[in-house]
Amino acid sequence: MGDKPIWEQIGSSFIQHYYQLFDNVRTQLGAIYIDASCLTWEGQQFQGKAAIVEKLSSLPFQKIQHSITAQDHQPTPDSCIISMVVGQLKADEDPIVGFHQMFLLKNINYAWVCTNDMFRLALYNFG
Amino acid sequence: MGDMPIWEQIGSNLMWNKIPHYYQLFDNDRTQLGAIYVDTSCLKWEGQPFQGKAPIVEKLSSLPFQKIQHSITAQDHQPTPHSCIISTAVGQLKMFLLKNISNAWVYTNDMFRLALHNFGCPPLSRHSRCFFLPPLPSAIPTPPDAPNIMHR
Repeated sequence: MGDKPIWEQIGSSFIQHYYQLFDNVRTQLGAIYIDASCLTWEGQQFQGKAAIVEKLSSLPFQKIQHSITAQDHQPTPDSCIISMVVGQLKADEDPIVGFHQMFLLKNINYAWVCTNDMFRLALYNFG
Repeated sequence: MGDMPIWEQIGSNLMWNKIPHYYQLFDNDRTQLGAIYVDTSCLKWEGQPFQGKAPIVEKLSSLPFQKIQHSITAQDHQPTPHSCIISTAVGQLKMFLLKNISNAWVYTNDMFRLALHNFGCPPLSRHSRCFFLPPLPSAIPTPPDAPNIMHR
């Protein structure tokens, strides 16, 4: 991993950490958001750590498992990191479904937090 | 559209006006796409990184297909901490970061991914798009070749 650009290292570590928390104890996801964070979950908007954690904690499944197909990371003009994830997830006994997620990461007091998070299921209007 | 937050208005305008314009350029003359990137722009195409206007245009011009058929299933827009705007579109897995330079929106970051997983899926290109638009620069120096390519 030493040869990867720093933003890829940070981005991948964040992604790994995020989905590990999400799949096992998503009530602890609050630590990665701040009060200025925005989440768009399937088109619904949430702002602030508390509102985001409430939304994620209240999602109506018992078990969830994410599998990442691809992830991309880039530095932004203002020294943030933008990460895009394409993958699949399985919630409870539902069929496997694809998803897309985007994170914007910012370094605050030497820690990387998520200021923007957008999640969409890969559902299309065709068979 | 007057009731929508400003970042939604700008994002929507990009999605429904500028992106069709983008794909029109893409289908007809990809060499003209250079106008919407700057020398600090980054493109990631299926995991391959490109930086700067010239490499990006070279990559896009050399793609082995003539047209790209796209449809936007959903779009989302958010403000970011530095008063920028970030937008994603699903249906098309393509992510852009847009920066306002000299009153025009340019792409500083662009990511494209086909959503192909390890099981059979219909042969339709699925990619998502994300826009990032920074505010009018006060501290950010204007690059000498900043293009004025997007006007409302």
